[in-house]
Amino acid sequence: MFSYIVRRLLYSVPILLGVILITFTLDSVMMTPEAKALRVLGPKSAKQARDEWIHNRGLDRPIPQQFVQYVKNLATFNFGTTWVTGRSVRDVFLQGAGPSLLITVPGFFAALLASLGLALFQVFVRDSPLDRSLTIFSVALMSVPTMVYVIFTQAILALALNYFPAFGFEYGGIGMIRFLLLPVAIFMLINLGHDARMYRAIFLEEINQDYVRTAHAKGVSNTRVLTQHVFKNGLIAIITLVVADLPKLILGSLLIESLFGIPGVGSVLRQSIESGDQPVVMTSVFLGSALYLVGLILTDICYALADPRIRLS
Amino acid sequence: MPPRRTPPFRALALLFSLALTVLFTGCDNDPNPAPYHEKRPDGSPWRVRYNAIPSEPKSFDPQFAYDEIDHSILSAVYDTLVEYHPMKKAPVELIPCLLEEMPKKEVEAENKISYLCRLKKDVHFHDDPCFPEGKGREVIAEDVHYILQRMCDPKVESPFFSTLEQHIIGMHEARAEGIAKTGKFDYGTRISGFELIDKYTFRLHLNGPFPQLVYWMAMNAMSPVPREGVEYYDGEVHDGVLRAKWRFHTVGTGPFQMKEYVPRQRIRYIRNEGYHTSVFPSDGFEPHKAEWLKQFAGKSLPLYDELNTSIIIELIPAFVLGRQGYLDGITANKEAFGALVTSDQQLTPKYKARGMELEKVSTPGTFFISFNMQDPIVGKNAKLRQAIARAYDGRAYVEIFYSGVSPTSNQLLPRGLFGYDPNYVDPNRFDLESAKRLLAEAGYPDGIDPKTGAPLEITLDEPVSGTDERQRAEYEKRMFEAIGIKINIRESTYPRLIERYEQGSFQLGSGTGWMADFPDPENFFFLFYSKNFPREGANYCRYSSPEFDKLYEKMAVMEDTPERLAIIKKMNAMLAEDCPVIFTFDKAFYVATQPWARWTHNSPMIENGYNKYQQVDPVLRAKLRKEWNRPALWPLILLGILVAGALIYAIRWNRQNHV
Repeated sequence: MFSYIVRRLLYSVPILLGVILITFTLDSVMMTPEAKALRVLGPKSAKQARDEWIHNRGLDRPIPQQFVQYVKNLATFNFGTTWVTGRSVRDVFLQGAGPSLLITVPGFFAALLASLGLALFQVFVRDSPLDRSLTIFSVALMSVPTMVYVIFTQAILALALNYFPAFGFEYGGIGMIRFLLLPVAIFMLINLGHDARMYRAIFLEEINQDYVRTAHAKGVSNTRVLTQHVFKNGLIAIITLVVADLPKLILGSLLIESLFGIPGVGSVLRQSIESGDQPVVMTSVFLGSALYLVGLILTDICYALADPRIRLS
Repeated sequence: MPPRRTPPFRALALLFSLALTVLFTGCDNDPNPAPYHEKRPDGSPWRVRYNAIPSEPKSFDPQFAYDEIDHSILSAVYDTLVEYHPMKKAPVELIPCLLEEMPKKEVEAENKISYLCRLKKDVHFHDDPCFPEGKGREVIAEDVHYILQRMCDPKVESPFFSTLEQHIIGMHEARAEGIAKTGKFDYGTRISGFELIDKYTFRLHLNGPFPQLVYWMAMNAMSPVPREGVEYYDGEVHDGVLRAKWRFHTVGTGPFQMKEYVPRQRIRYIRNEGYHTSVFPSDGFEPHKAEWLKQFAGKSLPLYDELNTSIIIELIPAFVLGRQGYLDGITANKEAFGALVTSDQQLTPKYKARGMELEKVSTPGTFFISFNMQDPIVGKNAKLRQAIARAYDGRAYVEIFYSGVSPTSNQLLPRGLFGYDPNYVDPNRFDLESAKRLLAEAGYPDGIDPKTGAPLEITLDEPVSGTDERQRAEYEKRMFEAIGIKINIRESTYPRLIERYEQGSFQLGSGTGWMADFPDPENFFFLFYSKNFPREGANYCRYSSPEFDKLYEKMAVMEDTPERLAIIKKMNAMLAEDCPVIFTFDKAFYVATQPWARWTHNSPMIENGYNKYQQVDPVLRAKLRKEWNRPALWPLILLGILVAGALIYAIRWNRQNHV
């Protein structure tokens, strides 16, 4: 397995280089240094100020030279400083990772638990009107855009019923929980419909297996069959699906963080896209690709660990 | 023995009760942090104001920050040498702030003009670790020299240098000399145009008339900063402690001291206890507020103890927090407008009943559509430009896209500025008949280009980043096409658009305009000065008229006199005749203020919610907030019943069908 992991990691290097090359080329082609300076400094900025800005960031050097420097910096995890605020990009990401994880990790596990619960419940009452209603409900959850969830919950739960703060964040302490409840709930809802539909399909496949019929024949109760046998066997497929998403949680949620004022990586990225803060956007793309590759490798490893029939070589 | 509940139901019941518990612990919707104190030392309630800014600040360095948002923050922390009278609107008036009196102009010769300035004594910087024993030192004239040096330092990237170096003697040379030895600016380099007279008095020598200097003194760019602070806050670790970067640390003399800045969340300020630079004015009150404002006359500033500024980028949350009473005002942006403002521009009954007031903010700024005067088609044909201008119905545009709030403009200067003529009638106002006549005279009868036999095609550059802008572009196209020509819209991002304007690769360009840095006609007419072509300047339409230039050069250095007014009239007439731009509308918007936070100020040059003249009634706020934010319990009970019903149904169904 070790050699397999090393090989996969080595395969990742050219993929990452490809991503860097594409993003760097796109960035260079789409915007001239002058347009970048105008975007950051504003249209009222003086020519002299813009020229100085371009020169101080090395944007007046030949593009291949800029690319080599950029790759060198990435290799040493030097992501540079943001163009808008002059802060270290690494610090910006490190500071944003905490709030992002506070939303995505509980939201992710809440969605996992809720969708597993819902899927099991649907299998429990399979083919009933309630099962069909819940299927329609799941499809509806999948179809609603995130923005609608946010507006709806802010308008109803925060504004009309006054249960939660509609916006804001506080780091640490019990007071933090009230700021996280709505964003976490929405993060959960966004994933719930899709996951529940998928897990239901997995469990239904399991429930038609021979070992389930045998268990029923032996007199095991329906509930016990579901929770002890179907659930455990279905988990093998589910774990592999879940693990691939885990590394990406650190990148947060672009829309939820922005609309709830959570100072996470997602909201940083949103602002950086709007303000043309190239170092932050490029770092996000790089980290996103790297984490996606890590997720894929983890999935393969988990498959091998969960299913004794699979061997990585 | 009671029947044993099965594991999934136990888990579900547990989850549900956990959710309810968590829900109840969250039954407080106030997003603001607890104030620093509950009471003042005299036992009266601690007064906090709550505002919001719509974007992340870029910098708190007064010599670098050149952005509306940054300025709103700086105005709370840094005093300026002079400031705008908070109550005077048309015309605005400058009054001394850090200066003892207004700068005294001294003219020795036409090219030898100076301003004598004397700082108030006993004004101190805020207490800060950068000073010995953390005690803020007194502000002295040398601090003003230091900020001019900072502008000369290329590392500071000050956007103000390029203007001031043209007027203050020695700034240009100081930069060259300062970086000559090592490439790094040497702060030992003196600026010859700065004459230090004594500890508090200095003289600024100019190379010619520059009456706008007093307006520059009202900008934070010329706010003194302590050299100790700039050098102390270097972003490095010293004795195991990481110091902030100067760009994100403030050491000012202003009414508030910044206590906390959490990026992408909030900025908190606390009253500068030693503040005695200015007091609440006793004159200039608006008649309908005069009786109420009299109570504050002569009072020491600021009128409140703490300022909490939330960074809220999205429009909807800002409106929601305002409705809940967690912000002291609600800006009537596109998400909130319908709820706040009626069709006849009044506060809606719902918000009036809450005791709110509607304030119209008209900041000196104007927008226009530019012709490229070097374009072979539109640039060489004044009648064609006039015809296109007369097809533009500004009133309909503003009604549709700005709900009629922004006033349409018919001249370059916005309302409230010296030179604005309320009786001016624009010859190029909307008039389709005369537009069609002019088009025929321009050589395009019914919009047909005789060379091709097809409608004349003109490209309209538009800044488009979403549906809103696209709708505006389509509407403009429809207006212009009403005279028979064909408009091709070219969409760009705003920076790309400005780049096109700078390169001169456009015919007709939308999204141009100007927000005043200071309320002087020069700050608008310079947009048409031929020596101000891009990239050095912002004369995007590349208007060039030797006669206009002469008038501009004369007007730019004049005081506000009847003679200056006459020149402005001539320049307006020239712009109407040559028609390099189509005037569209001036900037204006509404803010609904909470009953506990009535606005005191009136000057369009003063930041809305951040200034030291604002007041707040914390007792009324506490009472109303409580009334407006009572949590409802019935939905929780209903939810409980629904979940219990579903569980019972499930158990019964399963027993009937799967046992």
